[in-house]
Amino acid sequence: MLTDSKQVQEAGSILPAPAENSTAGERKRKSPNRHFRLFGKDYRLIDSLIGLGFLAPALILGIIFVIAPIVVSLSYAFTDAYLLNLSTAKWNNFANFGTVFTDPKMWNALGNTCLFVVIAVPLQLGIALGLALLLNKDVKGNTFYRWAYFCPVMLSLAVTSFLWMNLLNEQEGLFNGLLMSMGMKDPKNFLGSDYGMYAIVIVSVWQGAGYQMLIFLSGLKNIEPALYEAASLDGANKWQQFVHITLPAILPTTSFVLVTMLIGAFRLITQPMIMTPQAAADVNGRETTMTMSWYIYTQGLTYSEVGYSSAIALVYTVFLATIALTLRKVMDVKD
Amino acid sequence: MSATLIMKKRTPVLDVVEQQVDPVKTEELGGAEKIFAAKPKKKWTAKRIAARVCLYFWMSVLAVIFLFPVWWMIVNSMKSNTELVAQLSSMRTFLPGNIKEWFASYANLFTFTAFVNPETGGSLMGRAILNSILYCAITVAGVLLVNSLAAYALSRLKFPGSGVITTVVLLLILVPVETSIVPQIVILTKLGLLLPATRVIGYLIPGLVSPFYIFMFRSYFVGMPKELEEAAEIDGAGKLRTFFVIIIPLSKAIFATVAIFTFMGAWNDYVFAQYIFASNAEMMPLQVFLQQVNNVQPKDTSMVMAALTISTVPIAIVYIFCQRYIVEGVSFSGLK
Repeated sequence: MLTDSKQVQEAGSILPAPAENSTAGERKRKSPNRHFRLFGKDYRLIDSLIGLGFLAPALILGIIFVIAPIVVSLSYAFTDAYLLNLSTAKWNNFANFGTVFTDPKMWNALGNTCLFVVIAVPLQLGIALGLALLLNKDVKGNTFYRWAYFCPVMLSLAVTSFLWMNLLNEQEGLFNGLLMSMGMKDPKNFLGSDYGMYAIVIVSVWQGAGYQMLIFLSGLKNIEPALYEAASLDGANKWQQFVHITLPAILPTTSFVLVTMLIGAFRLITQPMIMTPQAAADVNGRETTMTMSWYIYTQGLTYSEVGYSSAIALVYTVFLATIALTLRKVMDVKD
Repeated sequence: MSATLIMKKRTPVLDVVEQQVDPVKTEELGGAEKIFAAKPKKKWTAKRIAARVCLYFWMSVLAVIFLFPVWWMIVNSMKSNTELVAQLSSMRTFLPGNIKEWFASYANLFTFTAFVNPETGGSLMGRAILNSILYCAITVAGVLLVNSLAAYALSRLKFPGSGVITTVVLLLILVPVETSIVPQIVILTKLGLLLPATRVIGYLIPGLVSPFYIFMFRSYFVGMPKELEEAAEIDGAGKLRTFFVIIIPLSKAIFATVAIFTFMGAWNDYVFAQYIFASNAEMMPLQVFLQQVNNVQPKDTSMVMAALTISTVPIAIVYIFCQRYIVEGVSFSGLK
């Protein structure tokens, strides 16, 4: 027990003890049940010390690597900060924000990202739900099919991107090879400006659908089978059962999946970065697979314009937060 | 592979034995009892058989769509590149190649001249695997310790600021902050953690704390009965001892879930790692090293597929052996 209380002391002693305890007597000081008051609330001293001690590593790391980046992002957004010489950053008021809204490349990146979100999210949600409904039937060989649909989830985004990049390659790519053996004349550049974004949509949906399928499946398994029996006794057909039992039951799951998928889709970066390193620029120089997260990354780290990059990030965060919070609110009202 | 991903198993509807027993039972029962009797088993009518065949057909088509790229990746990692290119435009591209060549590309990854450090003679591919394992181990250990201790403090101990911090943790999960990697790189640069010598620390340390994992641990701890801890306290055990001797053994499930998710996140990390280790092939984790393999000229697709397969194996093993915890984690995240 001795070593133990020593450890506790160590854990607690990193932090300054609350001030008003100096008057306490020697006997009382050793008591683990001493209390103190702060802002009208009563706390047990030993709990406070240990609590803060336990929290300290997370608190310190969290302040440096979670909170500080937000503060840095917020403050640099109003400066002309340059990555290689941060100390000379000067306040330039709202100049960055003026640039953000008149930057054609930003609008292009936002447009590309929205295109991806608008196609990929409904597609992936629909496929995931469809797969879950198929697998929810008691069919022999269910386990095999579940693993089959889930298989791509095991590939990391980088592996998925490199794999499909090679499958879709103009030279020595599987798809071009097979299509040409079926009579296509010239190889198609699936990763160029014409098809690039759609290729990324397909790859992302292929990789991710299995994961949401699993979430839907656990939602579906929680529905009482008795509900369906009661409904069929009342003469409800399969479609009515789906609309009136299945859909309401999985609505909370759906709303959660939708919000996380949307935010994830708005943050698309790895797939275009690997599959189209030159952002698939078309003849006019428009980068057809440049996304917002990638543009923020490029501005901040490739061109070292931390100030401008932070300003875009700030605007984008407000945009994303509005979407996420609105959606959550709308979905909650429905429940 | 035999265990199902979803644990709850219902009795199979199509069991032949039940079909034989059932009609007799339903005939004997009458009126209201009929309703509450076991669900009557449907007969195999032509319509039902057709529906089943149709279902299997579509499920199989979908399975092919989801599986063929992965199958192609594995099969073609086990061919020589000349064989791979020659077979591209025929269906033989989906069949295994010459057995003598099966592991040639894998061996090539470790001995290829561009992937051997000229000074030490060590294989960069081997180094990348080692780096990935090391980074993952440190991240998993750190994440478990830092976040579980914080969550325990927030769920069980009352101290000034605990309420505020809990709210901040929840806010950080709810609001999608585009912190991206730019401000993190700025902070790491300022702290001097991106120098050649300190780069590894700079790479690992930001990933140790996660509001989401604190939240996950906290939800679990809040639901645990307090009696055991109180008993331990009466017996004179300190909080730290209670945590390690009582709390951790009782919450193995949540520790395993967080460990698995952290491992997968750390193993699969790409964007952050490729920025930090772009100029340092010796320190690259496997996911970033894939870029080096992919860039080899003239292009060796078979070797790329071998590298992709190697980097997927650990994740596949985790999924196959730890399904229970993954499903738990997935359904946890599905609870809103």
